[in-house]
Amino acid sequence: MSHTSMTAAPDKAESSFFARLLKRQEMALFLCLVLVIAFFSFTAENFLSVRNMTNVFGQASLALTAGIGCAIVFISGEVDISIGALLATIALPLILIMNGTESLVLGIGGALLFGLIIGIVNGYLTAYAGINSLIVTLGMMFILRGGVYLYTGQRAIPDDAALDSFIALSDGRLFGVIPYSAIIAFGLLLIFAYMMQHRPFGRQIYAVGGNPEVARLAGYDVRRVKFTCFIISSLLATVAGIILAARVGSAQHTAGLNFEFQVVAATVLGGVSLAGGIGSLTGMALGVLILQFLSNGLRGLGLPTEWQLVITGIIIIAAVAFDEAKRRRAIGG
Amino acid sequence: MSADLLHAATDMATPTLEMRGIDKRFPGVIALENVDLVLQPGKVHALMGENGAGKSTLIKIMAGVYEKDAGAIRIQGREADIKSPRDSLRQGIKVVFQEIALISEFTVAENIFLEGYPTGRGGGIDWKKIRADSAALFKRIGFDVDPSARTGSLPVSQQQMVEIARALAHEAKVVVMDEPTSSLTPNEVALLFTVIRRLTTLGIAVVYVSHKLDEVFEIADTVTVLRDGRHISTRPIGEHTNETLIQDMIGRRIDNLFPRQRTAAGTKVALSVQGLSTAKKIRDVSFEARAGEVLGFFGLMGAGRTELAKAIVGYDPITAGTIAIDGSVLAPHDTRTGVRLGIGLLTEDRKTEGLMAELPVYQNTSLASLGTFARMGFIDTARERKAVQEYVDRFRIKTPGLFQQIKNLSGGNQQKVLISRWLMRGLKVIVVDEPTRGIDVGAKSEIFALIDRLAGEGLAVVMMTSEMPELLGLADRVAVMCEGRLTAIMSREDATQEKILNAAIG
Repeated sequence: MSHTSMTAAPDKAESSFFARLLKRQEMALFLCLVLVIAFFSFTAENFLSVRNMTNVFGQASLALTAGIGCAIVFISGEVDISIGALLATIALPLILIMNGTESLVLGIGGALLFGLIIGIVNGYLTAYAGINSLIVTLGMMFILRGGVYLYTGQRAIPDDAALDSFIALSDGRLFGVIPYSAIIAFGLLLIFAYMMQHRPFGRQIYAVGGNPEVARLAGYDVRRVKFTCFIISSLLATVAGIILAARVGSAQHTAGLNFEFQVVAATVLGGVSLAGGIGSLTGMALGVLILQFLSNGLRGLGLPTEWQLVITGIIIIAAVAFDEAKRRRAIGG
Repeated sequence: MSADLLHAATDMATPTLEMRGIDKRFPGVIALENVDLVLQPGKVHALMGENGAGKSTLIKIMAGVYEKDAGAIRIQGREADIKSPRDSLRQGIKVVFQEIALISEFTVAENIFLEGYPTGRGGGIDWKKIRADSAALFKRIGFDVDPSARTGSLPVSQQQMVEIARALAHEAKVVVMDEPTSSLTPNEVALLFTVIRRLTTLGIAVVYVSHKLDEVFEIADTVTVLRDGRHISTRPIGEHTNETLIQDMIGRRIDNLFPRQRTAAGTKVALSVQGLSTAKKIRDVSFEARAGEVLGFFGLMGAGRTELAKAIVGYDPITAGTIAIDGSVLAPHDTRTGVRLGIGLLTEDRKTEGLMAELPVYQNTSLASLGTFARMGFIDTARERKAVQEYVDRFRIKTPGLFQQIKNLSGGNQQKVLISRWLMRGLKVIVVDEPTRGIDVGAKSEIFALIDRLAGEGLAVVMMTSEMPELLGLADRVAVMCEGRLTAIMSREDATQEKILNAAIG
């Protein structure tokens, strides 16, 4: 049987670390990523330059940060598509508080509080009121987007405070090379990947998504686990929103438009199943990077954005179809 | 306090678990009424009863899946409040259900520790310990499986052993096993019994739910029999014989719920099944069903009734044997020919295999015979509705109208719609699987009258049932199954509850 286990750590004890690594689903994705990078480094100009590479990681940091939450919600067996609209909304409390107080800490605190409230509402309606999460978060998406349109009157609200520490979030680089935003994204990725594989709560999320009835019999509070996942998702989207606001230097009503679908696409490409219980954050991250490098490379080749969309679509369907075929064979054999 | 002292004085040892006066009601049904169960440490307590006697409800209350409506639960003399599976686990009660309760994507080792991961410093999961402890546990009980295997890749019998092993991994005071041997091989059953004996030497109270008499006589110390949700008897196994146990399980007289309208059954063979076997369960089953008769198949849980029903209508593949309807052979695994030849299945699982819940009554009725209403590829809906209306009138289906969504009808009326669906198709043989499951008592006799009438109109009715009154009230002949085999066929006149249950236990 081809080992489709994507649950990382609790795997083969006896087989060597290397053999284990090769068997993992993430390995296929990693090879894909290497292929994409190799292809464009020969065909697209300046693709391999340090500047371009670090740029890609910087650009990927938004999807990466929000993707952690998206993947966690998927693994718990639910979906959250309100993250794109949340990304735009979060800039309002952030910028308004900073403009009023000149304090980054208060601004970020306000933004996180706002994100927390949205997460609580999404989580409550889904986990406790029992409304389908697609519907809840679709509704939340419209509410938030509409709210931003109403509040801003479709005009950007500029960051008048222009705090240095805030601007550093957008173009600051460690040693002048690695964008801070990428450091934040990968730092969060490490923390949550560790949680998902090595903390009981992470395993509970897998169990709840894999089979809620079994999880309940094992003594887990299924509703509380799902509730918490929505809060995590909203808070991570908030962090992505803060970075985005720093980048554009204002609160804009069109910020993060279609962002949720980019994130969902990357998450699914990374092998995280909508059915719940399957997939890993590493996979999600590789999915994000593959799509980011692809779009960057295609742009380098001078291919119009329209074609990038078409290609991305084909890749996502092909990847999931491949996964499904492998899974069926594994079950049949 | 005084109550505790009293118990300590009257009982030899403090019972590990004591359930007193347990009541549980579901809408329209009293599942348990004033039931007692007292478990002693280190003893195996068998819980027996026919299907529907209340065994499952009782253990689900123990497991925190259901909440009791009345009564008291005491654990080692202390009042316990069990409201959720978590409460139950915390009290040291481990229930191994019939349905596999494992996460199939997880490794075997992880599933063993699902209820509580061992953590190292800093609260991280100690995977090394999980693997090592599972391996040691399997070794100790002589269970040969790779702890790092993906659980979903194991056969069901091994998954069941994993579940039983899981009960051992934690501190358990009570281990409950619900029909644990239903998918085990004889070797695995022997292994299971060794495990159970080891549990008792550790002072754990074991509840063993089963209807297999030989197993109960081999492993149990005490037997409690439930019937129709009531406590019937609790006795040491030594005081029981096969006969007394069966007597306790049946006990009642069958009252004639349903007047038969039919006179004699016909003699023309409508369905002939010879040497039928399936990969799943059925082994070499042969029988004939005649036009105008009700042939009742009885069997306990897991006897293979549903599997047989699905095989003879061509729904499930068969590995050997032939099925003929009115002399024409039905190719295996082919429901299209089945429907054409005139055999239909009224499924046990109405919700997922029978009804289109959101569709209106008339579309649900005409589903199998749309072709007969088609004119040049379009459905003549006027004719369709007229035909459906005839059935609605004929069977007095209670619905506000043909356009009512079927999910809003009562279970009994839904069943009538499904029967109409097949009659409209012009059936010769109808297979009904547990026709009254989930239907309240009042509506039952209506379904019985309907089945009676189907036979009266010249159909051969093959009825799968686990309910004795239904069987004895309706069937012209009784066939009994046990573990996929046909163990007896007898006429209505010869059939007694004792004979039938004896054949069903095998």
